[in-house]
Amino acid sequence: MVGFPLLDTLWLSLQHFNFGSYPRFAALANYGTLLHDAKFWQGLRVTLALYLLSLTWQLLAGLYLALLLHRTRVLRGLLRTLLVSPFVMPPVVVGMMWLVILDPSLGIANWLLSLVGISPALWLASPDWVVPTVAMIDTWQWAPFVALILLAGLQTLPPDVFEAAAIDGARGWGLLRRVTLPLLAPSIITAATLRSVDLLRFFDIIYITTQGGPGDASQTLNIYAFKQGFVFLDIGYASALMVTLTAIVIGAVLVLMRLRQAATW
Amino acid sequence: MVARRIAARAAPLLDALQVAIVGIVFVAPVLWMVTAGFKDSDAVTALPPQLLFHPTLRNFATVLTTMPFLRFALNSVVIAGGSTILGVLLGVPAAFAVSWNRMHWPALLMLAARMAPGALFLLPWFVMFSAIGAVGSFWVLIVTHAAITLPLALWTMLPFFDALPRELTEAARIDGCSDTAVLLRVVLPLVGPGLAVSVILCFVFAWNYFLFSLVLSDIHSRTLIVAAFNFVGEGVTDWGALMAAATLIALPPVVVTFLGQRWLVAGLTAGAVKG
Repeated sequence: MVGFPLLDTLWLSLQHFNFGSYPRFAALANYGTLLHDAKFWQGLRVTLALYLLSLTWQLLAGLYLALLLHRTRVLRGLLRTLLVSPFVMPPVVVGMMWLVILDPSLGIANWLLSLVGISPALWLASPDWVVPTVAMIDTWQWAPFVALILLAGLQTLPPDVFEAAAIDGARGWGLLRRVTLPLLAPSIITAATLRSVDLLRFFDIIYITTQGGPGDASQTLNIYAFKQGFVFLDIGYASALMVTLTAIVIGAVLVLMRLRQAATW
Repeated sequence: MVARRIAARAAPLLDALQVAIVGIVFVAPVLWMVTAGFKDSDAVTALPPQLLFHPTLRNFATVLTTMPFLRFALNSVVIAGGSTILGVLLGVPAAFAVSWNRMHWPALLMLAARMAPGALFLLPWFVMFSAIGAVGSFWVLIVTHAAITLPLALWTMLPFFDALPRELTEAARIDGCSDTAVLLRVVLPLVGPGLAVSVILCFVFAWNYFLFSLVLSDIHSRTLIVAAFNFVGEGVTDWGALMAAATLIALPPVVVTFLGQRWLVAGLTAGAVKG
């Protein structure tokens, strides 16, 4: 049930196969089409832009949250409990929620902006802003997850290193950059790996909120492949797109695993 | 010196302030969604937002009457519950075998399954299940969602099994236990928290999973998640009803994780920190 579909998709990607007709063997023709398909390259651009933006934001926000939770005692238990809820909520619900909050005319987000004198934004309806907006929504949902992983990492760091560093006069930014971050690197890379897998195949929230629009501005590779397969029923080409996307995900994970080995102390 | 002492005094206050701000940022949107579900149509779009309002249950009545909400909820319970049971029943013994015999290939296959985009599975399934006319049946949905729960169960159980001392099973075996008895009577009672985490995560992920039911369910087996998506797709402008539906759908996974919170954080991060 798991291994068979993986291989079967690889096989399907080598066929001309529109659902309802008979498949014909096509060798690498689907992959040739892909190289000359402007929408594929657009999808790749959107996927990578969304990936880099979201990953950077949630690692930074997650690190900030983890350090805050690690040093403060105030309400720590309560905050930890509350931080679990964003990432266990269904992405469909998260999408619905932000769709209403970010509504350009009646949403509360633009009203809050107007209070501080910023003119209303189109958010998900703007071709220029849709990717950062989706990245923001995903960061809201997943930065807490990153924070919990990094917090667990912080709590296993040897305290004597920090005592020694304090005696040597390290504090603040210097301590963070030269002691904490290098020690925490394996946990950071683990969090980045888990998020990379989800971010590179981004689907749910985009499908709920914009379906890839406006135009193709938020059409990730996964959304494009889904449309090719289940809207246009071009199973062969959709399979080739999915195989390519899977190769990208596995490639990214291998690079990150190599990095993790290098960063382990 | 004085400046530093003041800074030392102010630090906990500053931290408390940051905790409060962080709490608001992550909780306010959810709070807004939940309260919108209890507002009538004028109050829901009122700006500035009404913090004090007369709560109404009208939106929940709308949700329950305009679509077979309870039917879809039951579908979600059957599919998420069924695939959780299936995933855990297969995944836990598999994890035990992988951990105890130091096998690598099942774990790697499951890792590949965890990394592959859902549509990679969905394309062959769609072709296959359409050919035998099984699209929309419950067993197809349960079995396909097990592709989400099985790798999850295997990977969450691995660190728990790895942490057990090996002498344990050897002793049990000398006392005459069979392989099955070793797993059931000796090992499983010791990995209780791990099992709890597995069940919680499997249920939450299967409940939340959108793609498989989007394509493979029909009007009779539609899950709540897909019903909610159709609700948005129909261009519903009744925000109160929309947010009431969203609240109801988010409730089961949030409640389940709150109840199992004690084990959940440890389970999510087990193996992620060291090793």
